[in-house]
Amino acid sequence: MISFTSLTFIFRFLPLFLILYYAVPSKFRNLIIIIGSLFFYAVGEPIFIAVLVGLIAANFLVADIGYRFKNTTSKGNRYRLKHKKRMLCAIMVSIDIIALVTFKILATFVESTLLPLGLSFYIFKMVSYQVDVYRATIPVRPKFIDTAAYFSVFAQITQGPIMRYEDGAFYNDKYFSIKNIEEGLKYFIIGFGMKVILADRIGILFNDLGMYGYQSITTPLAWLGAFAYSFQLYFDFWGYSLMAEGIMVAMGFDFVRNFNHPYASNSVSEFYRRWHMTLGDFFKDYVYFPLGGSRCSKGKMVFNLAVVWILTGIWHGNGINFLIWGAALGIFIILEKVSYGKKLSKIPVLSNLYVLIVIPLTWVVFAIKDLGDLGSYFSRLFPFFGTNDIAVNGNDFLEYLGDYWWMFLLAIVLCIPKTSEIYEKHKNKWYVTILLLIVFWIAVYFSASTDGNPFMYLNF
Amino acid sequence: MKKAPLLILLILSVLVFSLIGFLGKDNIYSSQDKNLLEKPFLTSVFTGINDEIYPWDLFNSQKRNQAAMEASERQKMEEEMLAKQIAGENANAESETADNETVTETQDSGIVNDEVQPADVDIETEETPTEEEIPEPEEDNPFKDYVPRYEPFRETTYDEYVAHVSADIYGDMGVQFAASYPFGKVTMEYFDDALFIGDSRTVGLVKYTDISQHADSLCETSLSIWKTFKSNFKGKGTVESFLKKKQYKKIYIMVGVNELGTGKTEDYMKEFTSVVDRIHEMQPEAIIIIQAIMNVDREKSTKDKVFNNENIRARNNAIATLADNETIFYIDENEVLCDEEGFLRDDLRGDHLHLKGKSNELWKEFLLSHAVILEGTVLAEDVEVETSEKPE
Repeated sequence: MISFTSLTFIFRFLPLFLILYYAVPSKFRNLIIIIGSLFFYAVGEPIFIAVLVGLIAANFLVADIGYRFKNTTSKGNRYRLKHKKRMLCAIMVSIDIIALVTFKILATFVESTLLPLGLSFYIFKMVSYQVDVYRATIPVRPKFIDTAAYFSVFAQITQGPIMRYEDGAFYNDKYFSIKNIEEGLKYFIIGFGMKVILADRIGILFNDLGMYGYQSITTPLAWLGAFAYSFQLYFDFWGYSLMAEGIMVAMGFDFVRNFNHPYASNSVSEFYRRWHMTLGDFFKDYVYFPLGGSRCSKGKMVFNLAVVWILTGIWHGNGINFLIWGAALGIFIILEKVSYGKKLSKIPVLSNLYVLIVIPLTWVVFAIKDLGDLGSYFSRLFPFFGTNDIAVNGNDFLEYLGDYWWMFLLAIVLCIPKTSEIYEKHKNKWYVTILLLIVFWIAVYFSASTDGNPFMYLNF
Repeated sequence: MKKAPLLILLILSVLVFSLIGFLGKDNIYSSQDKNLLEKPFLTSVFTGINDEIYPWDLFNSQKRNQAAMEASERQKMEEEMLAKQIAGENANAESETADNETVTETQDSGIVNDEVQPADVDIETEETPTEEEIPEPEEDNPFKDYVPRYEPFRETTYDEYVAHVSADIYGDMGVQFAASYPFGKVTMEYFDDALFIGDSRTVGLVKYTDISQHADSLCETSLSIWKTFKSNFKGKGTVESFLKKKQYKKIYIMVGVNELGTGKTEDYMKEFTSVVDRIHEMQPEAIIIIQAIMNVDREKSTKDKVFNNENIRARNNAIATLADNETIFYIDENEVLCDEEGFLRDDLRGDHLHLKGKSNELWKEFLLSHAVILEGTVLAEDVEVETSEKPE
């Protein structure tokens, strides 16, 4: 039920929540968000919900102290006030980060179950909240109810997007509109379909490659696997983001964009401006810019980028492969900034190819935790490094392509920005409505087959 | 309808599917897992499709009645199991308080299983020879009185059934008897008239060794014993069509890992027996070589409640009893593929359940050295002698 694709969530929790949400007077809607979200969270994380509740209270209280200081017009006092607010912000951000780091360390070295669900997502929201309060970009003094609803909202708590407080406008009443629900439903269904019909299916290919060991696959299949995994990750995450945003839209919030056709980028830097955009923006606004960004010496900029990408690597998971992944991306992005980036991005096809080769390779690093296995995989991608002491089956590439071609075709079509434009133009037509209805029920079929049925999904 | 057509169509279709699920819950969908606390009614409409149960079957009274009957039978079976278990527990408690004599007796009776309850011991298990009973073991066959396909000495208990535990209800008598056959060593030509039936493990064997240049194979990922005669192996053909088309001399089969979580040991055994018998019926001239279900590695086996070596052994012990060492044989490749604790060796495995490509060579070697020598079979040593003689 904690997953948006589970039928219990779709047919029980979500409709019930939305009915309740719109049944109460608008001033109580944030309260319904809190109650519903804590219930949702408690199902998946009955113990660590205490961490969430504690951090919500602490973050609200500390930020609120800043609003209690008397505003002053004298210059000296203003400086002191600013200094005090800065201290408050620094203390609370430190507590948040220490909480994140502590649990990450516990999860890495003690037991993986010690990482509270969605911790890194809600901590990032909290950090942005503290800094935005300090920077006074939040227009009105937040009420506790509004802040708690922002931090806990179930649609974003497990996998984001990392929305900003002001983007959610929790302080504004949300009014019932059947149009919002229809719109949200469309986002939700598209996301549901991407995740369940496409990502979960095409993901089986990459999973299969591990079956007989990576050293047993041919080079073409290794590349096909790298692309399959790249598509899986993309449609899984984009799909999930769309589902989350669909729910938010149905609740009357503005749509928060998290992906903008990253695979159509002309450079790795651009790719990451269009991939998981709310995370990229977070690092940009709260790490890269405060460090000085690119408005400083070249050496300092390189350092700043390195910091951002090493942090990105650590944030994504515990394992050396994530560090290598972050570092590799950092190197490509630094190289682009200081050397070939501008020139290359002007050459259309070549720059696209560059992205489409570099990014899948980095995803392979992201995917394979065991460094020995990672080595095997790369020796198959680039066979001149490997040994000959292996057994491969020469037909494997064609066999897999025969089974998966329609998924690759669909994935490629969905990666093209033009597809979205066409959809936007036609989305209110009757045939799109029917198409979405069909997509929904096909997705339900796949979800029903795997949901809570451990023996269905395992195929040996 | 104009403002939110999708929402309205969605709600209508939810109602329709829920109604179908509701109407079918006691008949066509009775076999579907429906925990109503967790799952909505319409779930079974979709899980049913996987089991070839379609919404329109609701209008087929024959299918409806049959499913309802099966449901009541299943319920009766479960109730009986539960009742037996409770009775067994009571009997056990009584005998423990009375005296321990009966318990020690059963421990002596040749079957190695601590869990045997005195009430469950069959007459047949007492007939199985023990070392003491055999008068002159040195000159006599220890399996003189062995009866293949003997009855299990107990039934799966209700607790095991609900926990998806494959109960070891046969013991290792079948395995021991099968292992007493003097297998020989042969060359690759042995596979020229062989057929391999199997799941993804066998897919690996066929893909990564030269067996495919000699033998036919019908194997696919996710094959289970229930699908063995139904599958058409991605268009290659069914088992039946292959057996009709060509006369084989050896038919190898390894199926059983996918369905470890499905049914009881009894159910798996029943289906496996019927598959083996059907193959034998269609090709009485061919020998059938049952391969033990391959074990899983340490990590999988110790962590997984279903896909672990305990459950695999229980099912292997069952199917091994089919071996009569005349037309049906049982061989256990785990001997060479696993470590001394029975875990699939780390240096050989691809993932937790499969051999990596190269390691299949070892499995092939095992098959070559565990061949049933038939008339006209070329022995490996003959070839070796020949080749070594040639240069002289």
